[in-house]
Amino acid sequence: MIKLDKVVKSYKIDEETTFYALRESSIEIKEKEFVSIIGPSGSGKSTLMHLIGLLDKPSQGEIIIQGRRISGLNDDQISSLRNEFIGFVFQQFNLIPKLTVLENILLPSFYTRKKLEYDPKEKAMELIKRFGLLGKENSYPNKISGGQQQRVSILRALIMEPKMILADEPTGNLDSKTGTEIMELLKTLNEEEKITIAIVTHEADIAKYGKRTIHVKDGRVI
Amino acid sequence: MSYFLFIVQSALEDFRRNKMQTFLTSLGILIGVFAVVTLTAMGLGLKKYITDQFDALGSNTLFVAPGKLLGSGGMGASSLLGNRFDLKDLNSLKRVRSIKAITPLASKSGTAKGTKKSEFSTIFFSSDVFFDISGFEIDKGRFFDKRDVDKRAKVLVAGPKIAEKLFGSISEALDKKVSIDNVSFIIIGVIKSKGGGGFGGPDYDSYFFGPYTTGFIFDPDKKFIRFALKTDENIKIETVKEEVKTQMLKRYKDDEFSIVEPTEILSVVNGIFGILNLVLVAIASISLLVGGIGIMNIMYVTVSDKTKEVGIRRAIGARKNDILFQFIVEAVALSILGGALGLGLAYVGILIVQPFFPAYMDFTSVALALGVSSTIGIIFGVLPARKAANLEPVEAIRYE
Repeated sequence: MIKLDKVVKSYKIDEETTFYALRESSIEIKEKEFVSIIGPSGSGKSTLMHLIGLLDKPSQGEIIIQGRRISGLNDDQISSLRNEFIGFVFQQFNLIPKLTVLENILLPSFYTRKKLEYDPKEKAMELIKRFGLLGKENSYPNKISGGQQQRVSILRALIMEPKMILADEPTGNLDSKTGTEIMELLKTLNEEEKITIAIVTHEADIAKYGKRTIHVKDGRVI
Repeated sequence: MSYFLFIVQSALEDFRRNKMQTFLTSLGILIGVFAVVTLTAMGLGLKKYITDQFDALGSNTLFVAPGKLLGSGGMGASSLLGNRFDLKDLNSLKRVRSIKAITPLASKSGTAKGTKKSEFSTIFFSSDVFFDISGFEIDKGRFFDKRDVDKRAKVLVAGPKIAEKLFGSISEALDKKVSIDNVSFIIIGVIKSKGGGGFGGPDYDSYFFGPYTTGFIFDPDKKFIRFALKTDENIKIETVKEEVKTQMLKRYKDDEFSIVEPTEILSVVNGIFGILNLVLVAIASISLLVGGIGIMNIMYVTVSDKTKEVGIRRAIGARKNDILFQFIVEAVALSILGGALGLGLAYVGILIVQPFFPAYMDFTSVALALGVSSTIGIIFGVLPARKAANLEPVEAIRYE
């Protein structure tokens, strides 16, 4: 489904020095998989995640999503892929504080150029009910708990019915009990909804939710 | 909700939270639009007032004034030159056959004392035909007539405004004594209101009108500021002008008098106010420019403040143009807010000055104010918005 082929991410610091955030790496994530990318901080796992999520472009190598080479796409096409194909879940939740829970969840649907086969608002309310956020839809993010915020960000990722959810340290800002709940939720989505899930973490406990683990260290996939 | 509404809502969300900042940012545009609209309204009003004055005179009217009225001095300069013409000129012009009626004009200003109040006022001295030439109508009493002129009768016809001020009411003023600079007159009539007044040209409603012969009490030299004359409508106005000119040249040099039609004065007035308006608008535009720069500055700050938000929006699929659009709408909204407030303030200001000054706001100024302010928003919003749109998603989302 998504393939990174000999991808390198490097930054030129000056004429002679180049910093390699990610050295030549090739990985493949298949449909319906649950993959954990684990590595210590500074290992390059976030870079890897940004590349998979099309937030960043590789310095070398190619990213292929469902047979399409990313290097041949323009910014608008890549934006549409992020919008329709991938759902993001971040460590910091990254909700927009001035929007309500419902508005945050609906946000991707406003940016889509695709004709949706469902009413996003109805779908959002359905998700809110199903994931125990009923009554919070008109609250602002700073008025709900961290666990609830992370659930909102998962619902925001789900509103476009993406093929894949990318989660960057999804439990990093949560206590362990809430973290477990979030991980169970992702696991359910993978098992019941058949959504491909890739998580980035430095915690082995979290990584073990994945059915496959990719280790990253010193900018290399090992 | 449509995409457009969504973008507008995204752009306006912060206004709710930062009312004070929003207001201060739009203040520059507010002042600029206020200045442009108010000054234009005053220019327009003044122009309308003056043109109305001359329009009232109707066709087949000519003025003979000392000096070059339409020359470099502009209009009004002739009055500054003082009384120039005398009875000889009047008699000589009376011999021009194409002139149907002629009146000399002189004026005297002083304190008028009525039964109720004293008030600074002006008497317009003329012959009895003045009322006909100027299209006046009598309300109470009568105009003065030829006999009054011949007798140098100390009679005055009053404008309704001054009559009411000095005597409490128009009917009270009739047949009453009024003294102006210690000379007593009897009020024999009150004219119907001619409207206008307040600034610039003559406010007939606040004037007295008396026989020119009586006016000599105040002017031993027996001089006039100008002649107004009605021409024979069967004769071309150009021909009359030629005849009057020939007659005047017998005594004066070509540059010592002017013969003008009200329409000529109108075109001069239009010319002057065209330039005046342009200058006023140009000056006021400087504040619009400063306002625009203020908006640009705040928009740059906003882009920095919202870097993370831009990153989030880009991560979930917003395109560069979506971000560009959002920030431009925000800048335009700030600018239009300032424009609308400025317009409202100008409207109130114009209502306040209207009793004293013929300010007049038209649809053009409203359209101009809103058009200009939204254009400023776009122009000064584009650069910050482009900065926001071109942020790298990965860097924007990492931004704390």
